[in-house]
Order: sequence, then structure tokens, then C-alpha cells
Amino acid sequence: MKDYQLAWKNLWRNRKRTLITAASVFFAVFFALIMRSFQLGTYAKMYRDAIESYSGYLQLQNRDYLDEPSLDNGFVADPSVIKAIEADHNVLAVIPRLESFALAAAGSRTQGVMVIGMDPENENKALNLRNRMVRYKLTPGAIAQLKTENLPGRTGKILDAYLNKAFTDDESLIATLGIRESDTSDLLPLIREYAIFNNSFLSAADTGYAIIGNGLSDYLDISVGDTLVLMGQGYHGTSAAGLFVVRGVVTMPNPDIDNMFVYITLNDARYLYDAPDLSTSAIISIRNNDDDELIRTQERLKKVVDGDLTIRNWKEMNALLLNQMEADNRSGAIMIGILYLVVAFGVFGTVLMMMAERRREFGMLVSIGMRKGRLAVVVGMEMLFIGLIGVAAGVAASLPIVFLGHARPLRFTGEMARMYEDYGFEPVMPMLLPDTYYLWQVVVVLLILLIAITFSVRKILKLNVINAMRS
Amino acid sequence: MLISLAWKNVWRNRTRSLTVIAAVTVGVFAGVFAMAAINSSIVQRIDSAVNEELSHIQINNRQFRSSSDIRNFISEPDSVISVLQRTSGVADFTGRIIVRGIASTSTGSAGVEISGIDAEKERTMFTLSQRLIPGTGSYFGSDTKLNSAFIGEKLARELYIIRYILTPEVLESLAGKDVPASVIEKLRPLEGVRFTTEKKFSDACSGLLSAKENRKYGLKLREAAWSYREGSRIILSFLDINGDQTGAAFRICGIYRTNNDYFEAMSLFVPDNQLRTLTGMQEGQYHRFIVKLENSNLTDKVTPVIRESLPELEVLNWKEIQVDLAMIADYVNQIYGIFMALILAALAFGIVNTMLMSVLERTRELGMLSAIGMNHRRIFMMIMLESIFLSIVGGFAGMAVSGVVIGITGHTGINLVKYSEGLEAMGYSAHLYPTIGADFFLMLTVLIVLTGILSSIYPARKALQLNPVEALRGE
Repeated sequence: MKDYQLAWKNLWRNRKRTLITAASVFFAVFFALIMRSFQLGTYAKMYRDAIESYSGYLQLQNRDYLDEPSLDNGFVADPSVIKAIEADHNVLAVIPRLESFALAAAGSRTQGVMVIGMDPENENKALNLRNRMVRYKLTPGAIAQLKTENLPGRTGKILDAYLNKAFTDDESLIATLGIRESDTSDLLPLIREYAIFNNSFLSAADTGYAIIGNGLSDYLDISVGDTLVLMGQGYHGTSAAGLFVVRGVVTMPNPDIDNMFVYITLNDARYLYDAPDLSTSAIISIRNNDDDELIRTQERLKKVVDGDLTIRNWKEMNALLLNQMEADNRSGAIMIGILYLVVAFGVFGTVLMMMAERRREFGMLVSIGMRKGRLAVVVGMEMLFIGLIGVAAGVAASLPIVFLGHARPLRFTGEMARMYEDYGFEPVMPMLLPDTYYLWQVVVVLLILLIAITFSVRKILKLNVINAMRS
Repeated sequence: MLISLAWKNVWRNRTRSLTVIAAVTVGVFAGVFAMAAINSSIVQRIDSAVNEELSHIQINNRQFRSSSDIRNFISEPDSVISVLQRTSGVADFTGRIIVRGIASTSTGSAGVEISGIDAEKERTMFTLSQRLIPGTGSYFGSDTKLNSAFIGEKLARELYIIRYILTPEVLESLAGKDVPASVIEKLRPLEGVRFTTEKKFSDACSGLLSAKENRKYGLKLREAAWSYREGSRIILSFLDINGDQTGAAFRICGIYRTNNDYFEAMSLFVPDNQLRTLTGMQEGQYHRFIVKLENSNLTDKVTPVIRESLPELEVLNWKEIQVDLAMIADYVNQIYGIFMALILAALAFGIVNTMLMSVLERTRELGMLSAIGMNHRRIFMMIMLESIFLSIVGGFAGMAVSGVVIGITGHTGINLVKYSEGLEAMGYSAHLYPTIGADFFLMLTVLIVLTGILSSIYPARKALQLNPVEALRGE
């Protein structure tokens, strides 16, 4: 009989113990996987939101701009540098921007805002701003009219919680309002009728028009067609002021951006801030954005740009977000660490028991001629099998949940949703598909097993046959 | 009798029992300590929310919060004052005028919420005045002729008021802070150079020092080089009561530092009379009244009383303003409970295994007990007690160890400065002083006993299934 066959048979001599031990491993692996999947999935979404709604993957900036984001650290783009960057095989386009701070006022309401001067068509290629245009909005009027219709109970009840909520497409509307598939065909036309939002996008030739975030439009109580005053400090301390007509409203996943951003054309921004030809940054849109290729592209481009300019990647530009997620990540890792510690003790206890119980058997086997080395291999395999059964079961049980959680992310409603939004997060918790974090669980379990196996192998090698037989 | 029998049984196989007990001890300790660390940051967060940022209750014009329009002030302040004066539980209250605007210097600008406050009154009501960074001036000093502003460190950074300079005196002082002379010598080239951001200063330092020196002394250097030009001026601009743009230069009288970056960046305080002059707000007109209660536990009781007396105003307590914090505060025990239950569930597997072994090992003995007349109920009880002993001995040991460790670290504190940027952006302190309520230990004890009971059920049922005759015959 082969060693592994012997080990496998041994496992089932004490079926209950094997199953309970494997179950403890299963329990830890399963919870760790589900928890990690939620955590990592949420981080991935936040990173993606930050990249897609604001920073882009790579930006061309003045060296000092990251630390001191002011107009004084802007640059006048040299066409030859832009050409050189665009010549890189991974670069699609270089899209200059002018960003600065301003006070936005409408009537007697005011709010500090970020003004983004950009080229609408190109910016749209890199960040897909057009897809963020509001299509439906649950204004007080829309909600009042919807309530007069015969709505399914659940949808009717939660409407009030989503006052002034904006949606970019049918899917997000259906998911957020929790509309059942069977009701969709009845409800959608009603919502289209009452909550439709007339919106249009900027074009590069427009002057004096702006696109604003949905949160900002509520705060200032303005909408498409209304006028907005922007006041601020221009280049080299000049004063900047201008009138803009709101042409469109966008809704951004990050509430900070939603409440604070005003998009105008690059030319308008340069005029407003009295900074002709100046840019504060340029988004570099790229073909392949996976981590390694991104860094390689960044390094290549850094060589192309000269002294004052540099290339920043999204991690550098979103350092605070990364840091925040890292702190959260640590606390999650500690929780899982504790869970594994406890399971490790459980496994170790079982091994201890098993060794004590089978001393006589081991003594017998060695005395009838089984080499201690082979015995150690068999016992080691037994433990490995127990651990692997636990891991396999944990992984198998987690997979359907993870895939479901990825395809249909958990969406908070009511109080929980507000809590998330207060923190500046969208109240959605998608799960991350299996990735290296699955591997980590296996590694941790193997580590626990290594300790148990080392202990038992030593016991076997030191076994005194006479004493063992006598016990 | 049954109890002492069970207790003795536990110690018959010492190693085996001790392994399980050790597992429970470690699990309980690790869990309790992690909870205490998390709890401490929540306790600190609530404390600063109530004592520095929000107070217990705020009273606004109904339209004010949704749009801080300067004209949305409280129309009948006298009725508010009389209501607050006669409401029991109210310790003190004060009015503020609040406008949104821009703060700017020649190099930077940022959006701020400017609060005009009664400085003397707020000094006694809140602890923000104690958050003044030493050496940056005072919390509204005696000189009231000039416009003065009390601002947060984060805002000061955004406006480039804070700089990093290694003056000769700073370099001297470093020697007294355990920085070796060799390191100070290496930093000589930076003497007198002015850095406008922390990053630039750190970069310059790391260029001169080895990675190890930088790690060891970097924080000390940054703290020592931190400097601020006393009496720096900022320009505040905002809309006045007529909707016209107005503004003025303000001298910074002091800089405060809290654990909440957002609050630090947004909240700027000026004496109310100066803001009145600039905005044209009348004496006695306020946007907000903030109310301090005798203690935080009264919040839920006093809020509805004031709300009923002032139906046309918006009356909100800190829990309603910071829903996230209130939820955390209210549900924190449940969250701890769930996490501890998870740990105990993992421990239960170990206990079940041990008890099962112990029962199967004693087949003959249990058969004997049954044969001489010990009934099922008593055998079941005996096994259950053994299991409970295993879990509570470990549990109490774990709680005792964590009690001691929490006591010590609660005094010395745990430093998480490495991650402080992320934590403080969310308003949580990076210095933790672990603490946990006595009721948590009570709940934990219940959970531990429950674990013992639940994990004994399967082994105990196994014990009952043994047929006394067969059991006696066995082996």
C-alpha cells in the first residue's frame, strides 16, 4: 500500500475527529475568504471610482504640483513633449486640464468648488464623463407624482429616502430602488415620464457653460439653464470672476466630487483664471492599465519629459485614499489573524491528542519493522489531508457567494447608505473575484499544518518503542 | 458532587485540557484586546465630536443646513434663549454666526466655514481652545483691534502658512532630543532653508540621511522643523447679508490640531463682532445655537423637549448630525459581540474535539457509572460541566490577561502614526488608548459559558448513546 493510501485510510479510522478538525479549518477559511472578498472588492471599486471619475491612471504634472496644487505650479505644455508622450505605444492621448479652486455662488447661496477646465471630447475619452450624465432624478416633484401611481409596496416606501438622488442609467435605478424584474416593465415608463432629466454635454467650442455635480446642484439649488457665478484667485494673484450657465448635471460615485466639482471648457478656465496656455495637469490615457505595465509606462515617459515636469500614477495622486484603505485593511487582517490563531490552537490540540492516543500503535508499527521515517511521512500526510479537506471545502463554499457578490453587489439602503455617503463612499459593497487572496488562505493553513507536522514528526522520530508498547 | 467530579475529570489528562484552555485564553485575549483598541478610537472620536466639533445639540433655521445662505438666520433668538434657559439638563449654550467663504493667501486658497463665536464663552464650553499648538499664538489673545482668526493645522497647510525650517536653534535643540551629533552634522546643508511642504522637507532630509537614520529620526526632525510665521495674515471672502461679495484680512491668532482632518480643513473661527461688522448681521442675530448638556447620556432625553418647544426651528443632536458615529456608538456592542462569537465558534471546534476524545476514551468508565445507577441526566450534566470548565478557565485567564494588558497600554497608549493620515482623514486618532466597558466582560462571560454548553452537546449525547453493557464489555 502506498504511503498516501495508508494516510487516507487512517484518517477515516476516527471519522468524527477528522471531520471536526477539518471543519474548524473550513470555518476559518470560509470566513476569511468572504471577509477579504468584501474588503478587497470594496477597495478595488473605490480605487476604480477615484481613477475613473477624477485622476485617471497617469498624469503629466509639474514636479511640485502634487504637494502644492496651485496655479503657480502649473505648466505651459510644450507641443514637442506632448508629441513625444503620445509617441509611446501604450499612450492613447494626452489631455490637458486646468484645475483650481473657486467660490461658486447662485443667488445668495455659496459653496467652495473645484473648477476643472478640460477639453470635453477628449476628457470624455479618458474618463467617460458623458456616461455620468444624469438621466433620471428623483426630484420632490417627481416623487410626489410617482406616489400618486399604484407602486409596489417596497418601492413606494423607499422613494423618500432617495430624494434628489440621480441615476445615469436604467440598471442603477432598478438596483437602487430594488424594483423586481416582474415590475420593471410597468414601472420604468412611469419613472421615465416623471423623473426624466433633460441634460446636455459641453462641446469644446462652448463658452460660458458649465457642467456641475448633482450634489452641488442641490446645494446651490440650481439646475440646467440656471446661472452660476465663479469667484476665485487667478494666476499670479489676479482676481477671477465669471458667469456660467449650467448646461448639464453629472452624478459621481464619490460624494466629495459630486458635491464640489464644476466642469468648464479649458479655454473658459484659462480665461477665467487669466492664465493663457497654462495647464495644471494632463491626463495621459493609456491602453493597458494593469499594474506592471502602468509602472513601466510611467518610467518610460518620465525619461521623455524634462526637468520641471514629471509623470504621476494614480497611486501617488490618491495617496490619502490608499492610506485610508491600508489602515482599514490592517484592521481586517488582524481580525482574520486572530481567527487563524484560534484555529491553529485547535488543530494543534487535536494533533497532540492523536499522538498521545496512537503511541501504542506507532510503537507496534515500528517494532514490526516500519521505518520511523516512513511512519512520519504517513502521519504528516494525514495532517496535510485534514488541512486540505478544510481548505478545499472553504474555497468551494465561498466561490458561489463570491461570484454572486461580484455580479450583484450588496447595496446598502437607508441609514447604512447615509453612513457610507457621510464617509465619502458609495454605499455599495462588491466582492472581489478570486485572486491572490485565495492563495494566501492556503499558505496560512499550510503554515499552521507545518507547525503541527513538525511537532508530530519529532515525536515519532524520538519514539521509544518499548515505552510506547507498554503504554 | 457532580461539580467536583467534573472538575477532577478535566485535570485527568492535563496536557490535553491545558492545550484547549490555552487556545481559549489566547483567543479571548486577542479578541478582547483588538476590541479594546477599536473601542478606544470610537470613544475618542465621540469625545472630540461632542467637545470640539458639534456639541450635544444644535439649533438652526430650517433652511440653513441644506444651503448655508447667510439670510437663513434664526428669526426669534429670544425665544430660543428663554427655552434653553428653562430646559433642565442644559448646562450651557451659545450662539454662532456662520458663513461659507474662501480663505486665501498669496499662494493658496481653500473653501471654509467661518464661524463667528463668543470666544470667551466657548473657551469654557469646549476643549478646542486646549487644542492650540504650542508656539502658534493663543486662542484669541487680548489684542482685539485687529481681525483675528483661529484656524486648523490642515487649513494652515493648504494655505502654506506652515513651513519647515531647520534654524540654528532648532539644530541645537535636536541634540537634546537624542538625535546623535553625526545626524545633526549631516543636516547642516539644510540650515536656514525654507520648505513649504512636509513632503519637500522629508525628501531633502532623506537625501542627506541614510534610510535607517531617516526612519529613526524623521518624525523628530519634522516636528522640530515645523514652524509658522506668527501673525500671518489670510484673506477671508464671503457674501454679506445683501448678497454682495465682501472680505477682509485676518491675522491668525493661533492654530489648533485635532484628529479630524476634515474639521481642521473646514472650520475657521473668528470673534462674532468682527464677522457682524463685515457681514452686516445685527447684534443678537445668530445662525445657530449650540447647546452643551450636563452629560452625554441626556442627549436622547433633552432633544425632544427642546424640539417641541421650538417647532419652527431645526433641532438636531450630535447623533443625528453624525449618523455614522451614532450608529457606531449604538451598535458597537453588537459588533463586538458578533466578532467574539466568531472567535468562540472557532474555539468551540477545539472543545468539541477534546470532549469527544475524552468521552470515547472513557467508554468503559461511563458504562460503569451508568451501570451503578448514575442516570442519563447526571452523566449529561457531568460532561457539560467539564466542557464549561474548559471554556471558562481559559476564558477567565484570557480576560485577566487582557485586563492587565489593556490597563497598561491604556496608560501608555499605542502609536499608529504610520497610518495616521488615513485614520485622521476619517476623524480617528492615531494614538490609541485601549479601553473597554465592564459590561463587555459581562457579555463575554455569558458567551463563553454558552460556548462551553453548546460544544458539550454533541460529546454528551455520544456519551448517552453508549450501552452500559457493551461499554463494560469493551476493551
